[in-house]
Amino acid sequence: MSAAAQLEQTGILPEDAPVLRVEGVTKDFPGVRALDDVTLELRRHEVLGLVGENGAGKSTLLKVLAGVTPSDSGRIVVRGAPATYHNVAGAQRTGIGMVFQDQALIPNVTVAENIMLGAEGGAVRRGLYRWRELNRRAQVQLDKIKARVSPGALTESLSFAERQLVELAKVLGIEERIDAEPIVLLDEPTTVLEREEIETLFAQIERLRTCASVIFVSHRLDEVLGVSDRVYVMRDGKCVAELDPKTSDVHELHLIMVGRGLSESYYQEAEQREPEPAEPRLSVQGLTLPRHYENVSFDVLPGEVMGIAGVQGSGREDVCRTLFGALAQKSGQILLDGRPARLASPAEAVQAGIGYVPADRRSEGIIGQMSVAENMTLAHIWRVLRGLVIDRGAEDRLAREWIDRLAIKVPSHRAQAGNLSGGNQQKLSLAKWLVSDRLKVLVLDHPTRGLDVGAKAEVYALVRQLSDRGLAMVLLSDTLEETIALSHRIIVMKDGEIVDRLDAPASAKPTQVAVVEKMV
Amino acid sequence: MAEPTPQVPVQLGDSAALARRGTQQRKRWRETALVWMPLGVLVLLVGIVSTKNPSFLSLGSIQALTVEAAPLLFLALGQTLVIMIGGIDLSVATLASFASVLLALWLPSLGLAAVLAVLAITTTAGGIQGYVHAKTQVPSFVVTLSGMGIFGSLGLIVSGASTIAVTAKLGWIGWMTGMLGPIPRDPLVALVVVSVIAACLRWLPIGRYLLAIGNSELTALLSGVRAARVRVFAFAVSGLSAGLAATLLVSELQSGAPSLLNALLLPTIAAVVVGGTAITGGSGGLSRTVVGVLIISVLRVGIPVMGIDPSYEQLVYGAVIIAAVSLTIDRSKFAVLK
Repeated sequence: MSAAAQLEQTGILPEDAPVLRVEGVTKDFPGVRALDDVTLELRRHEVLGLVGENGAGKSTLLKVLAGVTPSDSGRIVVRGAPATYHNVAGAQRTGIGMVFQDQALIPNVTVAENIMLGAEGGAVRRGLYRWRELNRRAQVQLDKIKARVSPGALTESLSFAERQLVELAKVLGIEERIDAEPIVLLDEPTTVLEREEIETLFAQIERLRTCASVIFVSHRLDEVLGVSDRVYVMRDGKCVAELDPKTSDVHELHLIMVGRGLSESYYQEAEQREPEPAEPRLSVQGLTLPRHYENVSFDVLPGEVMGIAGVQGSGREDVCRTLFGALAQKSGQILLDGRPARLASPAEAVQAGIGYVPADRRSEGIIGQMSVAENMTLAHIWRVLRGLVIDRGAEDRLAREWIDRLAIKVPSHRAQAGNLSGGNQQKLSLAKWLVSDRLKVLVLDHPTRGLDVGAKAEVYALVRQLSDRGLAMVLLSDTLEETIALSHRIIVMKDGEIVDRLDAPASAKPTQVAVVEKMV
Repeated sequence: MAEPTPQVPVQLGDSAALARRGTQQRKRWRETALVWMPLGVLVLLVGIVSTKNPSFLSLGSIQALTVEAAPLLFLALGQTLVIMIGGIDLSVATLASFASVLLALWLPSLGLAAVLAVLAITTTAGGIQGYVHAKTQVPSFVVTLSGMGIFGSLGLIVSGASTIAVTAKLGWIGWMTGMLGPIPRDPLVALVVVSVIAACLRWLPIGRYLLAIGNSELTALLSGVRAARVRVFAFAVSGLSAGLAATLLVSELQSGAPSLLNALLLPTIAAVVVGGTAITGGSGGLSRTVVGVLIISVLRVGIPVMGIDPSYEQLVYGAVIIAAVSLTIDRSKFAVLK
């Protein structure tokens, strides 16, 4: 027996041995190979970055590792021993815990209960919680990442970022249970965090480095490069490259991810045209809703993109919801083409010519079980009515026309919308508004969230074209870079008020620093 | 607008496209199964009952079966719309019983006007339940469970807890029963009404809206659909169909009673779900419900024909509902079962 094999048997490993080895893991879903012979390793106290376009297999790999989905072939070796778990609990006993993208905490119990859920051990006696012990044990986990969250707090009272810390602490609890350092899987943890929160999270990841090994998946390549010790790039279910972040940059990552170069004019800034001076299409005057926003006024010209920058709680989301009739203002008014608009419900907003592209397209933008054509006419059924009756021929023609115009990839206009890819679903959720020639204002709420690089570029191109069409657009975006690049003008909101207004013509875009200064 | 010319074209990996085709195929298979399985079950049931008792396939017996099915079809009509939006109406049966009492009381003096008045009352009653449900956001099963109690009581109060015979000539509604050649009129009337409503759902925007709300109310709302109105509509149709079922049964039996149709609640829901409309809403339709009503009617008639103790009847419906729901339910709507 070799020395290494002996070591494997006793469970004592040399310091630099991988804590996790994925060997030739393959996973087929009906009709597709989601993971194709993936081999990689994770070393002790390492942060391993994992990047790739949507559908490259990152999430599937994490799910296989976390015990959510079984693999078809290949094996996973944890600390030298082949792992045999079939579910999340089994993965945790092996020492692998995952922080899920859509948080998996129970809202109406305390932080401590969530952290210790399923691992109460001595904190439960005769079926009853020993609260002091439970809180003490939870605090131990929270201390590991120096999280300033009280174990006694009600989980639903926490912010999204705080809940994420709780999830992290929960995963770290694996350490005591199995008496080994845990392997933590982070699936796009920064997607819905604001800048400051992201920095806090990265500080946590640095702390994690001392007590765990981490696999970090993110769409934001600069983040991955900043935080990881090594980066694997996945494409079409395969691991196609291993990079050292110190010697590579975002551009190179892009290249490998998509298998081609990233265009210089990613945001199509050359396509940005300054709007002609005209009567404002949308005019917001003294909009006030106490505790949400205060005295918000701005004009948007035809063809203009107005970006609203601000951190969470700045009130920008609420302003947009008011524009779409989903939240009523206390005072102030909204004018469309100079005329006061009554927007007491989304139905009235739609009638007035306002469209809303929601951030969560799957549950708010499209109806997955209905056809592409039916989704397109949902908000503007009058476009295809003959008398009271739906003219299916007209509907088909309209749908085909917009599928062509937006280059939506779909087998047929009668195909179910839920089967489209993320980017095509987003185009559909835009098309739904564009079919109306009465559309005046489009509210874009994080229009590229969760899209891959290529699909984002297509959305940018579309925004430019809509600008040419004379629509007034209000944009909320995940990244400042995107806000600055797409907008003609930017207003910065903080604590419910507008604190700054910046011009952002194609020739003289403000820097991110200039905007951030006002945001915080 | 010019043709979009994105700088970075999206090239979906072949694998991703294939994956979607895979799920698509599975979904299509599921849809096909949902359409054909109820028909298969129907044929199987008829086969079983008729081997036990060959006279089941005689003309007289089939005629009796369709007459039996007619009120159920009416009740299931409204229930289908409500279930399509993801709700449930537990009040239809007692509302129909209450309507039968009113009709029996008013027919002698008011004639045709009695029918119209009763239909107006049940439609309004259904609509009010829908309004309360939509405005207060109280789940429909709670609102209609209360409605079930209220209408049940009203029927007892108005009738003095007894059966009311219609002694006067039935006149106008008399033609609903009896025969048209070899075909009984009741099921014909029910089928015509169902067809009219089905055509409305197919060709008018309201059908879209019902499905949209059943699938994703949030998307529908954010698309400017007035969801509360659509909900009120569905429950109003359910009320209307309760009134129609009562009218049919009163003209058939020449009497009304405070518990006349109460036993039809479970069969009604069973008929809708066994036809393939998912209890989670967002799919299904009236043609499926027609098949479901036939299945349940074969069961209702077949149970005594096969010499099974009628005490088992409701047990069978209960089992049928669980089986059908577990087959048709859309599990993607909830991550964990509550």
